[in-house]
Amino acid sequence: MTEVQLKAPGSSVNRFFSFMSRGTDRLRPLLSSLWQNPKSRSGIIILGCLVGLGVIGGIYTPYSPFAPAFADYLPPSWAHLLGTNYEGQDVLSQFMYGTGTSLLVGFSVGVLASIIGTVVGVVAGYYGKIPDTFLMRFVDVLLVIPGFPLLIVLSSYLPPTLESTIIVLAILSWPFMSRVIRSQTLSLKQKQFVMASKLSGMSNLKIMARDILPFLLPLIIINSIFIVVGAVVAQAGLAFFGLSDISSVNWGTMLYWFEAEEGILFKAWWWLLPPGIGIMLLGIGGNLLNNGLSETLGFGEKNSSR
Amino acid sequence: MITAKYVLERLAHSLLILLVAMIFNFLLPRLVPGNPAVTILLSKYGYLNAKELKVIESQFHLTGSLGQQFESYWISLAHGNLGVSYYFYPLSVSAVIAERLPWTLFLLGTASIISILIGVSLGTYMGMKSGQIQDSFFSTLSISLFSIPYFWLGLIFQAVFAVMITIFPVAQAYSYGLVIGPNIPFIFSVLYHAALPLIVLILTIFPVFALLMRNTMTTTLREDYMTVAVAKGLRSWRLVDRYAKKNSMLPVTTSIALQIGYVVAGAFLIEVVFSYPGIGYTLYQAVYNSDYPLIQGIFLIISASVIFANFFVDILYAYLDPRVVLK
Repeated sequence: MTEVQLKAPGSSVNRFFSFMSRGTDRLRPLLSSLWQNPKSRSGIIILGCLVGLGVIGGIYTPYSPFAPAFADYLPPSWAHLLGTNYEGQDVLSQFMYGTGTSLLVGFSVGVLASIIGTVVGVVAGYYGKIPDTFLMRFVDVLLVIPGFPLLIVLSSYLPPTLESTIIVLAILSWPFMSRVIRSQTLSLKQKQFVMASKLSGMSNLKIMARDILPFLLPLIIINSIFIVVGAVVAQAGLAFFGLSDISSVNWGTMLYWFEAEEGILFKAWWWLLPPGIGIMLLGIGGNLLNNGLSETLGFGEKNSSR
Repeated sequence: MITAKYVLERLAHSLLILLVAMIFNFLLPRLVPGNPAVTILLSKYGYLNAKELKVIESQFHLTGSLGQQFESYWISLAHGNLGVSYYFYPLSVSAVIAERLPWTLFLLGTASIISILIGVSLGTYMGMKSGQIQDSFFSTLSISLFSIPYFWLGLIFQAVFAVMITIFPVAQAYSYGLVIGPNIPFIFSVLYHAALPLIVLILTIFPVFALLMRNTMTTTLREDYMTVAVAKGLRSWRLVDRYAKKNSMLPVTTSIALQIGYVVAGAFLIEVVFSYPGIGYTLYQAVYNSDYPLIQGIFLIISASVIFANFFVDILYAYLDPRVVLK
């Protein structure tokens, strides 16, 4: 009944809702089967905890994550569950706040790169011919040139802010995804319902948005999870290299200051462990969720054999 | 069959990418707002000096029109001249790279070989035990190790085995006061210093190969020809070694060969952690000291090695799986 209402030709708002409802109709059974699968369920739980910690850290921390208000290198105690660092900042507060920052960077990169990757992939796959050749050659170049060195060279010329880190990471993260999206678009293009839409005179833009994009959703999700995890790790590495905003508090800068201030000589394990465990949990959670997702969607085997 | 046409086509493709990398290297300092020579001088000394500015401008090929600049950039590249390093002055960029590259090749090369051996054997084992407890144990272990940021693991190993229990050296590639060359104390010192970074690298590289090998092995074992081979009554080691492993190695070969490219580009941060004098630590020093010629020179060398490795992979793959050429 609602379907009829929503499909009524009219405002763009209606059309948006019809697209969204079609999207969620497809997503709901997917979500429930993801919860059934033990792998993706543990992945969802791990990622959920991290996101929860990050959101809480953005709103509330026990002490200020920035103020050097305490004695240096205090070991863990009830007042400071994770001790303090070289300047006397509370490590737990830094970790909570830093989780939020790191995830925000990862998420921003994930969204930006997924948009670029999807648009490039769909356009190349759908139009074929010259746009396809041109875009895929470009993707080839970006895929072959080693990522981390390129990241370092680009960042060394840009102002050391989190924004420029996000932009550079987004620019470097999309190529692989666009390739996957392109090959899926190629096979979707041959489907009869796309032919039907073409014959009915639907514009290319509409066909791509309505007939092709919804079917790409699972692929987009899987790839963007990898992009988010990769971006958090890359940002941490970049910060460790001293090439990000080192005054910001995130997992990478926590490790950077540990290295720069030689926290190792003070045996400050309470300062070293949290950021690395955070990154590791994010990686494990992302991998588990993606494995479960591939199993649920039934293309795990095919993917791995290539 | 590898045809000459195929090789030439791949070669042209690689050269095209190398060309893009070189053009990118040329354009990057010029795309940044402002005069790059001024930026470099200010970040290096904090003041401007007309004479110095001239020197840097000519070194970076910043004099004349963009066309002339591009021409002089190519002429120096063709002579293998990558400019002079600021930090290691008066050494040239090529000299610095030539001095540091062997350390990286040694460290990453050794780590890659050992990781591949462990990864492929463990992956084969996991594939055979697919779905059983051994498989899920090692799969979980591999995924966990794979998710650990390797530089963080490096810091932990450094803290535990070099600071808390002082059984390994904290940093550097060899002890001071030794005669550098092929003598026993020096070789022993090099191996001793490389132990910790090597262990860390192996622990984080082998899971990649183990997981990949496991996946292809599981798929291969399900093929019809494997059932036939079992029905024929082949002994199990022969089955695994000659039938399953050989076919499963195909996709793994690609990543092994790509790992060769990453021997140069792979693990910068481990060198930073252990102050290991390889190409990664050099890049760190270059970034820290705003040594732009060195940064760009290292980028170019790394790109060239990875691009070359990719070319090598394409040819190798075509040799191992001739169907590729036909496509």
